[in-house]
Parts: sequence; structure tokens; C-alpha cells
Amino acid sequence: MAVYKRTYKAYRGPLTPVWSRFTVLSRYGLSTLFNSRPFTAYTVLCFLPFLIGLAYIYIVHSAAAQAVLGVGKTIPATVNNDWFLGFIGIEAGMGFILAAWGGPGMITKDFANHSVQLYLSRPISRTEYLIGKISVLAALLSCTTWIPALILFFVKAELQGHGWLWENLWMAGSIVLSCLIWIAMISLISMAVAVWVKWRIAATALMLGIFFLLPAFAAILNAILRTQWGNLINFTHMITLVWMRLFRESQAELPPAFNGVPLWAAWASLLSVCAACFWLLDRKLRAREVERS
Amino acid sequence: MSTTIEMQNLTVQLGSRTILNQLNGALSGRCIGLLGPNGSGKSTLINTLLGFYEPIAGAARIFGKEVKNNLRELRAMIGYMPESDAFIADMTGVRFVRYMAELSGLPRGEAMERAHEAFFYVGLGEARYRKLGTYSLGMKQLAKLAQAIAHGPKLVLLDEPTNGLDPEARIRMLQLVREIRDTGEVSVLISSHLLRDIEECCDQVLILKDGRIAALCNLEEERKANLKFLELEVTQGNGFLESVRGLGCECASFGAGRVRIVLPDNIDLRQIYRTAAEHEVQIRRMNYRRDTLEDIFLKAMAGAPPAALAQKGSANGSL
Repeated sequence: MAVYKRTYKAYRGPLTPVWSRFTVLSRYGLSTLFNSRPFTAYTVLCFLPFLIGLAYIYIVHSAAAQAVLGVGKTIPATVNNDWFLGFIGIEAGMGFILAAWGGPGMITKDFANHSVQLYLSRPISRTEYLIGKISVLAALLSCTTWIPALILFFVKAELQGHGWLWENLWMAGSIVLSCLIWIAMISLISMAVAVWVKWRIAATALMLGIFFLLPAFAAILNAILRTQWGNLINFTHMITLVWMRLFRESQAELPPAFNGVPLWAAWASLLSVCAACFWLLDRKLRAREVERS
Repeated sequence: MSTTIEMQNLTVQLGSRTILNQLNGALSGRCIGLLGPNGSGKSTLINTLLGFYEPIAGAARIFGKEVKNNLRELRAMIGYMPESDAFIADMTGVRFVRYMAELSGLPRGEAMERAHEAFFYVGLGEARYRKLGTYSLGMKQLAKLAQAIAHGPKLVLLDEPTNGLDPEARIRMLQLVREIRDTGEVSVLISSHLLRDIEECCDQVLILKDGRIAALCNLEEERKANLKFLELEVTQGNGFLESVRGLGCECASFGAGRVRIVLPDNIDLRQIYRTAAEHEVQIRRMNYRRDTLEDIFLKAMAGAPPAALAQKGSANGSL
């Protein structure tokens, strides 16, 4: 099919390994996301808490820096599980905006003009398609959550001395696990909402609704029924509850809103929402939709 | 010729409706036409061949491999141009085709090269850096064709490729299809409800009606048979028909002087005139034509039994 000859010619060259095909989706997804300058700027902004945290840990451990800045006695010197939980909370919040902004667009663009059928007419499965798309969000959110948190953890360990690392090694696991749970949930919700709504703006709005309106609805349920079980649909609360346990926060330190919901219920709530997302994706992510008559 | 597509009691049900009902047949043409009225199951058959729908009974095979069990392998060999819009609006044409080619397994460099070539090949070379959302309908159709052939498939499935095209674009599209067919490196399956599209490109045609095979014809054989029909209106003449039969023609009289004659290859029209003159028969009207796909299609739609229509032009010679 040479340009100058303008004749059709079959391709007989090498092919990429089958397992690597989903990475094409990831690569194009990332490049499409970063074509948007505001999105790129916001992604950079997501690293700001990391830089602040890094500076904070350094200042805490450097008498010279404290003297220069004149904060020696005013700066709280504890970088512990509370501190890391707070850091992850901030990064997760910023990451949520990142996922709500960029996630649905990756899928809705494919659905808007029916190009999903073109993807699925090629040698990739629906699962690979989904993995390709989710991996973009997973990579982005990892870069803004657990990876910087782990770097801060090891910087702290280095500055504090070896003993601290071994005493607090469990915290590294907590950082990774808590972030991975959150990333999985947020990515699945983002994809499921996009597949269902098929319109980027509506999908982003729906995501915001899930995390901001459902808590309000949960509060109303709690008030009317005089219970705490309404919090089961407050996913921010549920994941915070799981995080607090992972970071070994004591029961006494939990806010009153969390008191009525046991840990297993929080896990069940998060797993349920993930299962619902899988179900929705299975139903809707198809080359052709069949209308049941 | 080896079989491209084979169907064995292929039955597909969507919801509670049976869309394809026990299809049996082997398609081996270089360019296969899929004809039928709207809702006859053409697109469903294509979707089934792509593995989008799973048959509830029977099986479909492409190049001898069962679709159900060899989906990934077969999809790598197939290029698909869907009927509806299928593109990513804010992507440039060449990037989109490159993307699709990479998904089919081409390495980055080759995919880029083939995307450019495919765009030039379909005649959109100058528009390849424009976003697909800004393309006209005809350009979108050509871009869909480009993505279907960029990875060099062995079978190209074209679902209504001339839909919405103006006459010039339609001619261009059909010419491309013929060119692709004539390379001999790729088989083409075209679904259409436009008989002329099929007639211009295809050497075999499968006609579907209500999810069943109404006819399966080898157009190439039909053309080779080269049967010519005469429809005459003559004054009554004793012995005229017998004499014409004596020449080796098949004849049928429909009363009021209306006669249909099938002319074999070796009989010249002049001989019919001569015979008419010998019998002092006046020919008041003469309609001379070959049997067309339209005849085959109309017979199939009228509900003629598939056996009478299927295979090797057996339908054509009958009166």
C-alpha cells in the first residue's frame, strides 16, 4: 500500500505480543489526557502536597532549617501515622478531582461515536479494554498518592534513623493498601459511570454527586431513622473508616459519625460498590447492545 | 477456491427474537455480497462473525476456524467497517487509524506508516491531519475504510459502505472495494441493500430474508452462463415457437402473443428475426435483457424455495 503507488498491499511484518495490546490503550489514553493544558497543570498541582510534606519532614529534622525559618518551637515535630493518614487524605481528595476530570472522558469519547465496536473488532477483549483504560487512572493516581507517600515515609525513616523504619514498617503497607483500595474504587466508579452515562460532563457531575450528594442523603437517612447505617452510602466515610483502622487509629479517636458502623460493614460497603461497578461494566461495555423485547 | 465463511445451522437470538435462523452455506467468493431488506439479519450476521453475538445453535467458521473458539486469532485477520459512525471526534484521522492499527498488533512505526498509506489510498491524504469530527459523511466513510484495511487483514467486512454517499463518492468507494478485491490478497464481505453496489463488486451473493437464506448465488457463474432473455410480443404465427425451439432456445408463451425466449450463446438475434419472417410473424415489441441480480433478488423476496435459487445459477434458465 505504498503512498506513491496507491495500491493495496497486505501487511506481512512483525506483530506486537498479544499481552501488550492493552498498553496501546493506556499510552493513547495518557497522551489524550495530557493534551489538555488545564489537566496537565492540575496534575502538576497534585504534587504540591508532596513537596510541602517533603519540606516539612526536612524542617522537622533539621535544626539549622528551623533556625533559619525561626520555627523551632512552633512547628509540631510529629510525623507519625496521623500525619501520613492526613497526607493521604489530602492527596486522595486531589486525586478524586483528577479521576472525575480525566477518567470519564477516556471512555465517553469511545461511546459518543460508537468507536467501541472498532476496539472490540480487534484482537482485544472487553477486559483488556477496561484494563487499558483503568491503568491510565491507576498510574496517575498512584503517582499522586501512594508513591509520594512512600517516598515521604522513606525520607522520614532516613532522617529519623533505622530504628524508626523497622518499628513503623507496617505503615508502609498501610499506605500502599489504603491507596490501592481507594484507587480501585475511584477508577471503577469513574469507568462505570462513564459507560452508563456516555456523556463526559454528565459522568463527571454524577461522580461528584456520588461523593458529595450521597453523604448528604446519608445524613438525612441517619437523622430520620435515628441510626448510623445511612453512612453505608457515604463512601468517603466508609473509606476513611477503613483507612483509620489500617493506620491503627484507636476507636476512641474516631469521630462520632463512625461509631455506629462496624469495620466489616465499611468493607462490605466498599466491596459492594466495586461489585456494582463490575456488573454495570459487564452489562454496558459491549460492542453491541441488545434491547430485550 | 477455499471457503472464506462457512455457516452450519447458525442461529442467533437477540432477546426473545430469532434474528438468524439456521443458516447453512459456504461462501468462497473473493467478494461476497450480503443482500436483504432492512431487518433481514445482514448486520447481525456480520456481528456474529466478529463474535459480538454468540449463536444459540450452530456455528460459523472463517477460514475454517470456528469463530467462537478462535476469536482473537480471527479478529487479527479481519478488518471491519461498521455501518454507523465509528470514530473518535477529537482525534486526527491519521492518528485514529494508527491507533487502530496498533491495537491490531502493528508496531508503532509500521502502524504510523500504514496509517499514512491507508489514508492516501482511500483518497484522504490531504485531510489526514484534520480532526475526524470535522469530516464530511463521505470522508468519515473513507476513514472507516482506511482503519479497516490499515493492518492488512485477510477478510474485510464492510457494512453498508455506500450509505449516505453522494454518487461520486459512491463510485469511488466501490472502485476501492474492487481494487482491494482484485489484489487477491484479501476477501471482502459487503452488506448492502443496494443491488447495484453488490452487482458491481461481488462474485457471490447471499440473500437473506427474515433471518433465513433466501438465495445463495455465484454471480460469476451467472455471468459465465451468459443467458440472454427475449421478451416478445408477436402476432399469432403457426409454428414460430416450434421453429425457435428447433434453434435450441427455450420458449414459453403467455397468451396474447407474449413470448419469452432464452437465447443460448450460439444463437444470434438475427436468426430469430429470420425465423419470424419465415413464418410471417410480426414482432410488435421486443425486450432484450440479461438476467440480473434484481431478478434473483425479486424471486428470492417473492419466496421462491431456496433450492431453486441456490447455487450455480439454476434459477436463471427457468421461465
